[in-house]
Amino acid sequence: MTDLRTEEFDINMGPHHPSTHGVCRLLLTMDGEKVVKVVPYIGYLHRAIEKICENRTYAMCIPILDRFEYVTAMSCNYVFSLAAERLSGIEVPERAEYLRVIMLELNRIASHLIFFGTTAMDIGALTPFLYALREREYIMDLFEMTCGQRLTYNYIRVGGVSKDIPEKFIPQCKVTISTITEKVEEYKRLLNKNPIWKMRTIGIGKLDADLAIAYGVSGPILRASGIDYDLRRDDPYSIYDRFDFNIPVYHNGDVFDRYMLRLDEIQESCKIVAQALEGIEEGPIRAKVSPNFKPAAGETYTRIENSRG
Amino acid sequence: MTNEELKSYIETNYTSLLTHNEAGKYDLLFEVDAVNLVTVCEKLKNDPELLFDYFCNLSGADTTEKFEAIYNLGSIKKKIRIDIKVVLPHENPVIDSVQTVWPAANWYEREMWELYGIHINNHDNLTRFLLHDEWDEGYPMRKDWDAPDFIRFPDL
Repeated sequence: MTDLRTEEFDINMGPHHPSTHGVCRLLLTMDGEKVVKVVPYIGYLHRAIEKICENRTYAMCIPILDRFEYVTAMSCNYVFSLAAERLSGIEVPERAEYLRVIMLELNRIASHLIFFGTTAMDIGALTPFLYALREREYIMDLFEMTCGQRLTYNYIRVGGVSKDIPEKFIPQCKVTISTITEKVEEYKRLLNKNPIWKMRTIGIGKLDADLAIAYGVSGPILRASGIDYDLRRDDPYSIYDRFDFNIPVYHNGDVFDRYMLRLDEIQESCKIVAQALEGIEEGPIRAKVSPNFKPAAGETYTRIENSRG
Repeated sequence: MTNEELKSYIETNYTSLLTHNEAGKYDLLFEVDAVNLVTVCEKLKNDPELLFDYFCNLSGADTTEKFEAIYNLGSIKKKIRIDIKVVLPHENPVIDSVQTVWPAANWYEREMWELYGIHINNHDNLTRFLLHDEWDEGYPMRKDWDAPDFIRFPDL
């Protein structure tokens, strides 16, 4: 066996079929089952949204921005509206801020549930996918009753939100978040002690803190590498400074820590939503903004804490 | 550190390098000459009072007379943020790479090179990034570039 010849070989890893979502191509150089080198090709889904928006009014941009990332479309709406509001100094009504926080956090939970389900499915456990999508459906119901959409909401607008919540929203939302808080414990029981899950996640895909900062990694992945940095606390936007919540931080920077961190974040988001539902009061939901609104001249760069960084 | 403190700190310690620009809203915006870019970036990153260790974003802009490259920097330890702008001529825009300071800049610079046609000096991998390999139709993000089926939206 000693004279057996081995050599590295290249594999193209997809998906890059035009009808699939989130396409990219990874050119992997493999040494047996170990990946030695990766060259990513990411341009497959570049839709030139910046160029399209050059030719539109601000209000017309928001539905396009939903398509940035349809798993957490609320954040994409919000970050754009926030930029326009900061440039023009628009005061957003109190109720609208509460509604925004509720929607952003519910959307974060929905996104983390997708992470939980699909990651487990790709690693070889199908049950979590069914569980996660079952719970996510409750959140989709809430969004649907509010703005009529399940993925691309076009809900958060410059100056406020597009529609007020219906009467049954608050009781149904309370039930949803208490269910999800409980279910997260169930997810942890389901996977945390599973030897296959542990073998395939602990110590895999390690990213240490220095490397994460050097490459500008953000969000849950940064926090799973041991950096305690969350924009909701460190550069507060909207009304996040009014809520009491923890920021989970893990230190190993492997797949297992990222998974645990997201499950913890779901529970923290539930806390925020619960507080927001207590604090919300009647009032206007939108500042007066013309449909042809143009912000004052100036430059700004806004950043918010999205579920994916 | 509040924005006012940050502004007075930068104005005292970076007098000849950075000039404040009023156009920046919410966060501070400074302008820097293209020749000083890498020096300033290294200084900002290693300054113990600032520690701009985090490269948030790099955006390009075409004002039709000039090109602009805007670097959005953050500091994780100090929890502060600034923007730095470099103004480049419209003919043969060239800028130095900052990937030795922040490796994260690599992809953003490739994108800017590809979509705005701003050449990046000392970049280790200036190859096609978002456009397809046979692309030969200019620089799409420039203001004078229109897509073949483009229809201008009427002014309101």
